[in-house]
Amino acid sequence: MTYEFTTEDLKEIEKIKSRYPEVKPATLPVLWIAQKRFGHVDPDVQKLVAATLELPEAHVHGVASFYTQYYKEKKGKYVLDVCTCLSCQLCGGYDMLHYLEEKLEIKAGETSDDGLFTLNQVECLGACGYAPMLQITNDKYVNNLTHEKIDKLVDSLKKGEEPGYEKMEMPLRKNN
Amino acid sequence: MPQVIIDGQTYEFEGKHKLLQFIQDLGKEVPFFCYHPSMTAPANCRQCMVKVGQFVKDRESGEYELDDNGEKVIRWFPKLQTSCNIDVADDMIVHTQETDALVRRAQKDNLELILINHPLDCPICDQAGECPLQIQTYKYGPEGSRFEVKKVHKPKRVVLGPRVVLDAERCINCTRCTRFTEEISKTNQLTITSRGDKNYPTTAPGREFTDPYSLNTVDICPVGALTSADFRFRARVWEMNQTPSIDITNGKGCNIDLWTRDNLVLRITPRYNGEVNDHWMPDEGREAYKIFNENRISRPLQKLDGEQILSSWNNSIATFNEQIAARDKKEILFIGSPHASVEENYALQQLANLMGINEVIFTSHTESGKGDDFLLTDDLAPNTTGCRLLGLKELDQKDLGFRVKKASLIVLVNDHFIDREIFSASDLDGKYLVSFATNHSKTTKFADLVIPITTAAEHAASYVNVDGRIQRTIPAKETKYSNRRLNLEMSEGRLDRYGTNFDNWVTEDNKIDCIPLWNFITEAANASGLDLSFEDGRSMMNEISDKFKPFENVSYEAMDAHAGIQLSLNPKTESPKVK
Repeated sequence: MTYEFTTEDLKEIEKIKSRYPEVKPATLPVLWIAQKRFGHVDPDVQKLVAATLELPEAHVHGVASFYTQYYKEKKGKYVLDVCTCLSCQLCGGYDMLHYLEEKLEIKAGETSDDGLFTLNQVECLGACGYAPMLQITNDKYVNNLTHEKIDKLVDSLKKGEEPGYEKMEMPLRKNN
Repeated sequence: MPQVIIDGQTYEFEGKHKLLQFIQDLGKEVPFFCYHPSMTAPANCRQCMVKVGQFVKDRESGEYELDDNGEKVIRWFPKLQTSCNIDVADDMIVHTQETDALVRRAQKDNLELILINHPLDCPICDQAGECPLQIQTYKYGPEGSRFEVKKVHKPKRVVLGPRVVLDAERCINCTRCTRFTEEISKTNQLTITSRGDKNYPTTAPGREFTDPYSLNTVDICPVGALTSADFRFRARVWEMNQTPSIDITNGKGCNIDLWTRDNLVLRITPRYNGEVNDHWMPDEGREAYKIFNENRISRPLQKLDGEQILSSWNNSIATFNEQIAARDKKEILFIGSPHASVEENYALQQLANLMGINEVIFTSHTESGKGDDFLLTDDLAPNTTGCRLLGLKELDQKDLGFRVKKASLIVLVNDHFIDREIFSASDLDGKYLVSFATNHSKTTKFADLVIPITTAAEHAASYVNVDGRIQRTIPAKETKYSNRRLNLEMSEGRLDRYGTNFDNWVTEDNKIDCIPLWNFITEAANASGLDLSFEDGRSMMNEISDKFKPFENVSYEAMDAHAGIQLSLNPKTESPKVK
């Protein structure tokens, strides 16, 4: 499959390039643009990025493969990263993961047949105070998960409605 | 002059130095893996840690701060430093592993970390015996590992390109190979993929490691991760014998080492020469082992009734002289070769002089577009400049064809004109072709007399590269008539030293029945009553340097002492510089 940037993308890339004295540092943001456009940065997209920036293909591959947030293969429309690190684990992270596995009928690491969901088990996302939690496609967090919250989330995602950012309050320490 | 104190010893220095290189230049040692003197130092192996400090000085008065005992106070860097990328500074105090238990401990623990996922398959690894990781683990490493979990598995036997095979498990991610493709060969073909304990060097997906210098990454790999597809599993390092020599596959004359075992050249690696090739050589030069080993002519061949049959040396000498005596001198054509050494061309030239034959001619062997401003040259022969400096007449291919048409006896030295399509077999109808050659080719097939001569791996002879640098070879392989123990210039490997004819790993078959061209010429000249005698390359070079202005002051001793001598290519104005 061949991929191509749109003219807007190319304009954006030019803008990014002008921010740095060299081209190399533009690799990361341009990979983001590519991932936004195509949903992933598989080897063909990496080649496109390399050709657009006139950088060695090996360099772009090295950068893309270093960061797990770049998807090196086609994923579902929504990638659900369920945290199972310590705090989430204690508060039921695995329970949430398994509930999602059953609900979406896929195992962690797999993509659903309708191409809508990819389920991942991940390590700490830095929201230990609101455990258990998950992240939608490298972006929004859904905190304090319960089975009901997951049901609602999946339903709205199926309708194409992404939840907004959730405002979380830090519990205040009681000084007596 | 600025001073630095290393392990209690004071050294003066000038200019900018990296600490690790400075310590090495002193002949001392600090272990390291990722550092390479010709490349940048990313300090990612963390093995070269040393303790570094600075005397405390009062900024205003410039006086040293003293403690209660009157000793200068040292302010140590808060952590151990990687010596490869720290600059040597005035008043610096350095403790290496030799004097400091903390440094010893740091290096030991670092090795333990590096070895966590290293397979330790030294008994089947090609690198064993010349492996920095193996050597340094013996010297500085822990006695054992405390790591009892299963090691991480990574891809093995990955064919990166036509010449390089990767074993990712052995890799310690020093990035020497990726830096080589970025900084030296500039093809940028390698990168480190993935991260953490899963990373290893590789090419971009779907791409091959086709770099014309790819095998240098095998040389600089400090472990057995990158191996040569050709040499993999061919020999253990300690069984081979290493002989310094010169690359004869192009005009650059890269300095190389020939690795032989039982008189077969098994691999060729570059040897450092800052004036010529630094630490590198092109992949093509490494293929030359095939020239030395395979398809060799052994014993003279002579055509009888249109068929080549094996002949004897006496017979071939007699035939050679008969053929020359039977012809008008004007019909005899002696063709020298840029593929032959200075000494061989000189011997041919002297014979032609004495016989009253026309001047010796030669034609260069070039392929335009082949050169790359690095170590590949348009010139495909190692000694074109040498032929010119000897005053051989250079003809282009057309003129050469014209001369060949007029001749009835052609004497060809180590050049394959039919293979090079300078003339075809039909041009030779009715002419007598004498071919002095090392390997069978289309040309030798048509020759009426084929005399096997020694290759660069079997004789000591010199070659002048495209830049006018004269460098010499040292015999690495025995012929039927040479012997390592008698020829003091040849070195002996373990198997050469202790093997006998009764061992099944020693064979006489790899010794070629050939002699140096100058020996044949001496025999032929003496048989026809001419006063001409050559003994060896060393004495011939002394003769040459007496007779030819450009070779003034050139001798084997001088070449050995200075890793080759830069000749002046314009002999009328300058005399050669001994560098």
